[in-house]
Amino acid sequence: MEHTLRAYDEELEGLTAELSRMGGLAEVEVADAIRAIARRDVMLAQAVIGRDARLDEIEAEIERRAVLLIALRQPVADDLRRTVAALKISMNLERCGDLAKNIAKRALVIAEAEPMTKLTRSIERMGELVAGRLKDVLDAFAARDLDRAKTVWLRDDEVDEHYDSIFRELLTYMMGDPRTIASCAHLLFVAKNLERIGDHATNIAEIIFYEITGEQLPEQRPKLDALEP
Amino acid sequence: MSLTALESQDVSIERIDNAAIKLDVQELDFYYGKKHALKSVSIPFAERAVTALIGPSGCGKSTLLRTLNRMYALYPGQRATGRIMFDGEDILRPGVNLAMLRARIGMVFQKPTPFPMSIYDNVAFGVRLYESLSKADMDNRVEEALRRAALWDEVKDHLSASGLGLSGGQQQRLCVARGIAVKPEILLLDEPTSALDPISSAKLEETVTQLKSDYTIVVVTHNMGQAARVSDYTGFMYLGELVEFGETGTVFTKPATRRASDYVTGRFG
Repeated sequence: MEHTLRAYDEELEGLTAELSRMGGLAEVEVADAIRAIARRDVMLAQAVIGRDARLDEIEAEIERRAVLLIALRQPVADDLRRTVAALKISMNLERCGDLAKNIAKRALVIAEAEPMTKLTRSIERMGELVAGRLKDVLDAFAARDLDRAKTVWLRDDEVDEHYDSIFRELLTYMMGDPRTIASCAHLLFVAKNLERIGDHATNIAEIIFYEITGEQLPEQRPKLDALEP
Repeated sequence: MSLTALESQDVSIERIDNAAIKLDVQELDFYYGKKHALKSVSIPFAERAVTALIGPSGCGKSTLLRTLNRMYALYPGQRATGRIMFDGEDILRPGVNLAMLRARIGMVFQKPTPFPMSIYDNVAFGVRLYESLSKADMDNRVEEALRRAALWDEVKDHLSASGLGLSGGQQQRLCVARGIAVKPEILLLDEPTSALDPISSAKLEETVTQLKSDYTIVVVTHNMGQAARVSDYTGFMYLGELVEFGETGTVFTKPATRRASDYVTGRFG
């Protein structure tokens, strides 16, 4: 149902629209950063680094709008949860952008070293998983789809497992050939950054759950198999 | 986790601890002649807490307030059925001493209603009806009531001046002082700040918050922010029914019913 005050509806919708725009940009940043690593694409890496400032700008804009809305409209109930959720989600997206930028910077260094195709494949697969989670959670936000948000939240373990296996793979490489240590160290940070982007996707899933239901998800994630019907 | 949180209920009345209930309205129906103004309303009012009644005009919140000290008995053709238990006694039953009841359950109205007499006498007036105090005791009683109503500092130097000479906000606090001077157990406030400026409203809200430690307070208000600020419990009424009742924090962050949600967020009313 619409608010009696139409301008209030417009402001809330404006906030959601800005957030969707920011989500789209963050998604592209993460996907492009992974591609820059996989393809040793210096131009793409530089583009990712250059675009990060736009995410910072939108985050500031969302904060400005949310603060104004709280001051002028005093939102309550679902309107309040929506406003608070917009603030928190934008912070998470801004961090995703920073992490993507960091990955892109490492892509520049890695591109100058000898290619390590098998390793970059593993990183790429983990990157695709993480980018997919980010996309899913942003779709869940756009569609206010509680089940989809919950699925993202439940599947956080997959990313962690990927990270652990890449960690072991990198150790094996570094022990086998110390000349690869520099590149491997960068790839380890890339994997860590991806893992953290995955955590931000989980955070966003929790925020969406709170926004829609008013309830907090439990601190402990239940084991996957216990939840399947 | 189930998704029941999403499926909002039609009516949601949160239970509160029986021991905390000072005034318990049970299945109350009220009629203005043929008009059925309250429909089987059951609502508890917790002791030493503020309960706000909110809802669109004509929803029955003022009517409910007026039944709580049987103010309606002054008018012919108005009747109530059901029970209102006050310390274990049904105040709706015949034979209740209404003067005593209203001494125990005081009321402050929407518009300030000072009597055309001095500030001092405005406060002392009610006390003289029920008690005979010495001059010194009465002075103390008047001062205490004016202090509790957060008016003392503004009027202590001209207590013999007319109550009508005070500002609207001061007059309303004078009415609160008059109401609490007889030491009631419950204070009913009907739109107490609707005629006041923001500063006076804030002072009255502060007064209400202070009084909560000793009184059971019920406030009817159109001002949603005020309900959120001063009350511990909120009841949302619509078309003569109590639709939602619960802790104020819950009603304003996560209302259980769609109708209460639409009302507090400004979507109808």
